[in-house]
Amino acid sequence: MKTERPVNLSLSPANFSWPVTAMASIAHRLTGMLLFVGVGFLLYILDMALASDAGFADASALLGQPLPKVGMIAVMATLTFHLFAGVKHLLLDLGIGETFEAASRAAWLVFGLTAVVTVILGAWLW
Amino acid sequence: MQVSVYRYNPDVDEVPQMRDMSVDLPEGKDLMVLDVLELLKGQDPTLSYRRSCREGVCGSDGINMNGKNGLACITPVSEVVKRGKLVLRPLPGLPVVRDLVVDMTQFYRQFEKVQPYLINDQPPPAQERLQSPEQRAELDGLYECILCACCSTACPSFWWNPDKFIGPAGLLQAYRFLADSRDSATAERLSKLDDPFSVFRCRGIMNCVSVCPKGLNPTRAIGKIRSMLLHQGT
Repeated sequence: MKTERPVNLSLSPANFSWPVTAMASIAHRLTGMLLFVGVGFLLYILDMALASDAGFADASALLGQPLPKVGMIAVMATLTFHLFAGVKHLLLDLGIGETFEAASRAAWLVFGLTAVVTVILGAWLW
Repeated sequence: MQVSVYRYNPDVDEVPQMRDMSVDLPEGKDLMVLDVLELLKGQDPTLSYRRSCREGVCGSDGINMNGKNGLACITPVSEVVKRGKLVLRPLPGLPVVRDLVVDMTQFYRQFEKVQPYLINDQPPPAQERLQSPEQRAELDGLYECILCACCSTACPSFWWNPDKFIGPAGLLQAYRFLADSRDSATAERLSKLDDPFSVFRCRGIMNCVSVCPKGLNPTRAIGKIRSMLLHQGT
């Protein structure tokens, strides 16, 4: 007989059903990590733009290209989500939205608002 | 209906396996998942699971059904079945003794830690310790827990730190006694919870609330404990 017991821990959505509240929490962490990288990208461009007139022109030219533009919009979307999810988390800490229904609505709202803000920002930046 | 069941017999199997079985459901009747388990056990008597009252009171048959923890006896098949298939696994995160039976030791150990009994150092009155209806109402939504472990085993913080994080079930009970007007050990109870793990590993993702078969809300209880810790300023 074996003494080591197995543990059922299969985290893929196929085997464990994650409520939207958990998805929002995981996405909050992921966006936090992505921002760590994303802010580096923003600072790099800021540094380039502040260095000299030529640097500013280079930065504008860089952001005029499609790929850096998409990168910029992605960083903005990440920041937007992280911000809204953070506000939601603070409200929960204050005891607001503690029922599962309210928390689910709030989580969907955070995803929805991020989509709307990203579309608006994207249209503005393009 | 196709049923995929997590099977593990420590005497025979090296590793657990998902095994497919099929079961004929009676027409025009929505069985509970426990009824399906009974039918499967008729086919294969070696299938193991816990059960007792079959009406959601004893808390024995907590299992994971198509990804969601719940009590097999009060969960209709129609509520969990996906694309004609029912997938049954043991509660996640706890060591599996056999098939759907898990070792609940870690879960009970966390429950014991919160001293789930009334502590009062005053001499007892002649008859009983009275509460006003308002004081009694504070315990609603807390005392109903049947310790089925559906919540704690749905909680990632409990999966990663089952020895240090009390878990939703234990914390709901911790608050049940913190909120009791007859209990006089509030300060001691709080000081035992005041560390980075016991309470504060909760990230408020509400997996616990989403699965509780009794509709209880550990997230709210944990929030109340947090405010009590904050006010106490320890």
